[in-house]
Amino acid sequence: MNVAQQLVNGVTIGHAYALVAVGWTLLLGAARLVNFGHGQMYMVGAFVAWWAMQATGLPYVLAIPVAVLVGATLGAAMQRLMLRLTLQQNLVSLMIATLGFGQLLEGAAGFAFGARPQRLVSPLEAMPLRWGQVWFTAQDVLLVVCTIAVFLALRWVLGRTVLGSWVRMVAEDPKLTQLGGVDVAWVYMGIFAFEGAAVAFAATLVAPRTPILTSMGFDQVIITFVVVVLGGIGSVGGSYLAGLGLGLFTAFFGALVSPAYTTAAIFVVLIAVMVLRPGDLASGRGFAR
Amino acid sequence: MQFGIAAGLAVAGYALPWLLAWLLGASALVYGTLVAIAIFATMAYGLDIILSDLGEISLAHTAFFAAGAYAAALLSVAGLGAWLTLGGAVAASLVLAGALGLITLRMREFAFSLVTYAAAVVCASVAANWDVLGGSDGVVGIPTLDLSIGPLTLEAGNNRQLWPYTYVLLLATIYFVARFRRSRLGQAALMVHMNPRLAVMSGLNANRIRLLVFLVSAPISAVAGWLYAYQRAYVGPDLFDTYFLVLMLTAVILVGRRLLLAPLLGTALLLVQKSFFSLGAYGDKLVLGAVLVAALCLFPNGLASIRLRRSKMLPQDGTG
Repeated sequence: MNVAQQLVNGVTIGHAYALVAVGWTLLLGAARLVNFGHGQMYMVGAFVAWWAMQATGLPYVLAIPVAVLVGATLGAAMQRLMLRLTLQQNLVSLMIATLGFGQLLEGAAGFAFGARPQRLVSPLEAMPLRWGQVWFTAQDVLLVVCTIAVFLALRWVLGRTVLGSWVRMVAEDPKLTQLGGVDVAWVYMGIFAFEGAAVAFAATLVAPRTPILTSMGFDQVIITFVVVVLGGIGSVGGSYLAGLGLGLFTAFFGALVSPAYTTAAIFVVLIAVMVLRPGDLASGRGFAR
Repeated sequence: MQFGIAAGLAVAGYALPWLLAWLLGASALVYGTLVAIAIFATMAYGLDIILSDLGEISLAHTAFFAAGAYAAALLSVAGLGAWLTLGGAVAASLVLAGALGLITLRMREFAFSLVTYAAAVVCASVAANWDVLGGSDGVVGIPTLDLSIGPLTLEAGNNRQLWPYTYVLLLATIYFVARFRRSRLGQAALMVHMNPRLAVMSGLNANRIRLLVFLVSAPISAVAGWLYAYQRAYVGPDLFDTYFLVLMLTAVILVGRRLLLAPLLGTALLLVQKSFFSLGAYGDKLVLGAVLVAALCLFPNGLASIRLRRSKMLPQDGTG
């Protein structure tokens, strides 16, 4: 086994995990919401970028903002529909509703984009770079740089800006925030728009690594669950570290044991952590830190 | 009186295929749909107990359903009779539910849902990769259902012959759920859900009750999976598909929570659409998702709340 190569693979996969999970981290931390439609939003992001390049001939770099815009709109629309449930904090119904959204998006995408696997082609994917014995692509570099940028930006917005303070207020106490003169509905809408935009952005950067299918939905982002939970519900820095750690775990477990059982192994780790350290899941701990 | 209505409904339900055959012409589709409704409604009742009575969302019930189906498939291919495979299905689900119940004992809300989902993912990936369970090819060659006891021959080769068995299973499930809700455990579960503090003050051990309810609900879904394996004669990792999960959840939510016949009606509505008004695979997915979202966003208390709300507006109608 080439340890250095697996290390680089792990870092790349880890940043992909973290970037896919960043939207949900905010969602879970600020709104205490779980979005089971996350995977389908990822799929839609990838397909919108693919469609923009196929139908209008946009270059890859310009297809990214198109996908991000569609993702943000989708997230905001979803929140608008669920607004009543959100304000009632009806978490059970919300969770199921997001599952329904996932099915809806998958069906709609099947109609719009067909059943055949496609490729989202990034010109950077075809630029191999070599450093000693280690190979990687320019796309990997872009992914790592963008992930770090998104995490730093999110941390800065949450910690240093008025907008961020509203989000933190909503996370603490939505009713008190409303009394304080902030329109909570808009804050929730913004959080969902960020979630949609972030996952679409992640899709445009991560999806060129594999063929894309309208049915890929959950399989592609299943690790997101683990990232946000191991990261310590809603903790931005924690999610980044959890993503990185899981990426390294994936690379080395796949190389040493068996790639087929990697997902199962990760989920066993998750279950073990939840059983041994249930206190880490207590509400409201560690958000935006 | 209530018993009379229930008995009348049960007999009428059994005669339903003949009525439909008379109306629509006897077809394999009618029987196939009815058998599917009975099986998936039974599956949904397993989840209904957790969702309506315990107030949690278990996403692991596809795993219980699949555990029942896999137990039936593997044991029957090994030559065991249907009664023994039934026992195997129940046992498999109890082991799985016991383990999962202990793991999730102290978890609530989304932590509970996440871990049950994680468990289902682990099961799915084990089923798809482990050759003992057939791997990605699944298990083929399941014999036809044969529940014969001594001289009494009880066999079912096609959907038409399966209908009585699925129907009896459905009735037994509904009776069981009704009994559960009136039982000490059912009442305790509701109290733990609605008023945890009162439950503690009444000396109830919430964790123990949650575990017991989990153990009661899993075999229901597993028995549905057991029958599904015989009906389809094939079992594979596709049993873990999100479709089953969303079908279950929608069926439970759609009509209304804690109404005895709601999961049956919900399942029936969804499967009739799929069988007779199908829009293709994508269209059906779209419809299922849209129905689920619309039901939750527009009628959070289920379709039954429409009628209830209207009757409340009429002052002379005292009974509702």
